[in-house]
Amino acid sequence: MSTIQPFEKPLGMRDTLPRLYAQQHTIRAEAMDYMRKHGYEFIQTPSLEYFETIGKISSLDEAALFKLVDNQGEMLVLRPDLTTPIARIAAAKLLKEKNPLRLAYSSTVFRAQQREGGRPAEFEQLGLELLGDTSALADSEMLQMAAGLLKSLGLQNFTITVGHAGLINHAIDQMIPDVKERDRVRHFLVDKNFVGIDRWAATYPDSKEFFAFFQQSIRGMTLKELLEQFPVLQTEAAEQFLAVSNWIDDLPELKEHFQLDPLVVSHMHYYTGMVFEVYAEGSGFALGNGGRYDDLLEQFGMKVGATGFSIRLDYLLEILPIAVEAPTRTLVYTDQNSTREANQQATALRTQGNYVTVQFKESVLDTKAFEQNFDDVIDLTKEAR
Amino acid sequence: MEYLTIAMPKGRIFEEALELLKAAGYDLPNEMEDSRKLIVEVPSEQLRFILAKPMDVPVYVEHGVADLGVAGKDVLLEQQRSVMELVDLQISYCYMATAGLPDTVMNDVAPRVATKYPTIATTFFKEKGEQVEIIELNGSIELAPMIGLADRIVDIVSTGRTLKENGLVEYEKIADITSRLVANPVSYRVKQARIRDMAKRLQQAVGEMQR
Repeated sequence: MSTIQPFEKPLGMRDTLPRLYAQQHTIRAEAMDYMRKHGYEFIQTPSLEYFETIGKISSLDEAALFKLVDNQGEMLVLRPDLTTPIARIAAAKLLKEKNPLRLAYSSTVFRAQQREGGRPAEFEQLGLELLGDTSALADSEMLQMAAGLLKSLGLQNFTITVGHAGLINHAIDQMIPDVKERDRVRHFLVDKNFVGIDRWAATYPDSKEFFAFFQQSIRGMTLKELLEQFPVLQTEAAEQFLAVSNWIDDLPELKEHFQLDPLVVSHMHYYTGMVFEVYAEGSGFALGNGGRYDDLLEQFGMKVGATGFSIRLDYLLEILPIAVEAPTRTLVYTDQNSTREANQQATALRTQGNYVTVQFKESVLDTKAFEQNFDDVIDLTKEAR
Repeated sequence: MEYLTIAMPKGRIFEEALELLKAAGYDLPNEMEDSRKLIVEVPSEQLRFILAKPMDVPVYVEHGVADLGVAGKDVLLEQQRSVMELVDLQISYCYMATAGLPDTVMNDVAPRVATKYPTIATTFFKEKGEQVEIIELNGSIELAPMIGLADRIVDIVSTGRTLKENGLVEYEKIADITSRLVANPVSYRVKQARIRDMAKRLQQAVGEMQR
């Protein structure tokens, strides 16, 4: 191993410098405002959780977890997601006070780098959870919140792909007789490996029905047509999915952002119902995802429905045209005799909305370079008068 | 219509992929591969080609700087990147196999395997229930058993001639390799109509070529 240089950070860790910090703050504030206005309350969960509970339930690959041991000898993880800790606190306390419960968060999560750089191991997620409501309307609310939030932030070119975990699982289970083959197909779908499915279908004789369903879905057959052609799919899951689909059709201003795709399978396997992924032009990676996860709260001892989504702030920043409000930055130079006056002037300017720095001039080594960081300079030193 | 950016490996695969695209009805000029240009645009079809090293194609696609790419299954298996595999182009067929000196068994204590594909080799032997030590080399893998560096090699075989000429024999086949059309998951959604159309046309062209 090479020696660590003083300027280095652990793999995947990033500094947030003032400019970026300001942009993050602007977006976060706007997003939080939007969520609050829709009845969601913000909470914060701890950075550290037990590996035994949150670590295992969060359904992330164990290699992606940052693990450490506390002074009691317990294995801990840096929180890898927010949904699981929120399910914990909701089941333990909050749902007993308010049900259905609407919660929001804006927190960083930690996921270890598994390959080369280019991806942060700590990043901020903005998200919502609606707990205690199993209706299709709750699903629709999530979709509307996701699309509405992105729109209110000024994003134009985005697509939300909606699927249904219950429907695709039912299709796999009903159409493929062999349990082992079902797992293979599920794997191909998570990896989005369509060639794998083509090849699988060519070698496995009982694949006909599922393969037909797969091909029709790729070709863009509508949900209604699919259900007609494959009556075995007509279940409660299909009905829910259809309800969500109808609801989307009734939203003229958001409709264009939605795509229905029954083949969407999330890598987070706690999803049970509607699932969706958010994509936007300009970012190579999905902006966020969400869906219904009715079984997760059961693991914390409470059986209620839940649905939610999260958006990655770092990807959002990459593609949003951000107009950070730039107030005038004023520099006030002072010497021993003018501190009082400097403070008075500074206070007056601050009330007008300026960002004012009061600086003892003698301490500045290179005034010219220093002044470049400001829009205005007021010099109250003796030499300047 | 928006541009589609396609990352392609230079050389033979590029030519074969171009033939397929032409067969799929894309109007592309005959002289595309200028020796030094790394980006070639075809405005009439709104296509842009990035010429890359074969190993780098999935990197460009994963990061979304290319919407699509043509990548060998060997590279995809080795790198495990999150790209979508849309179409098996059935070009540049070969397969991944283990090979070694004839009539030899692997060392019991510390079997050593030389390869350019450490992930594929590790996974293959793990699934067989054997723990091996992987020695990563960058080329001329056939040398390793000959000079006693490794008991086995894992490499791609197309005709088997190189193995034969170096006195090696093939032991086990690991996987068939062909080139695939891969897509960035975001592009697949945001430019869905164009990408699905291309996948469909290529699939058809591949089918016709097979006949």
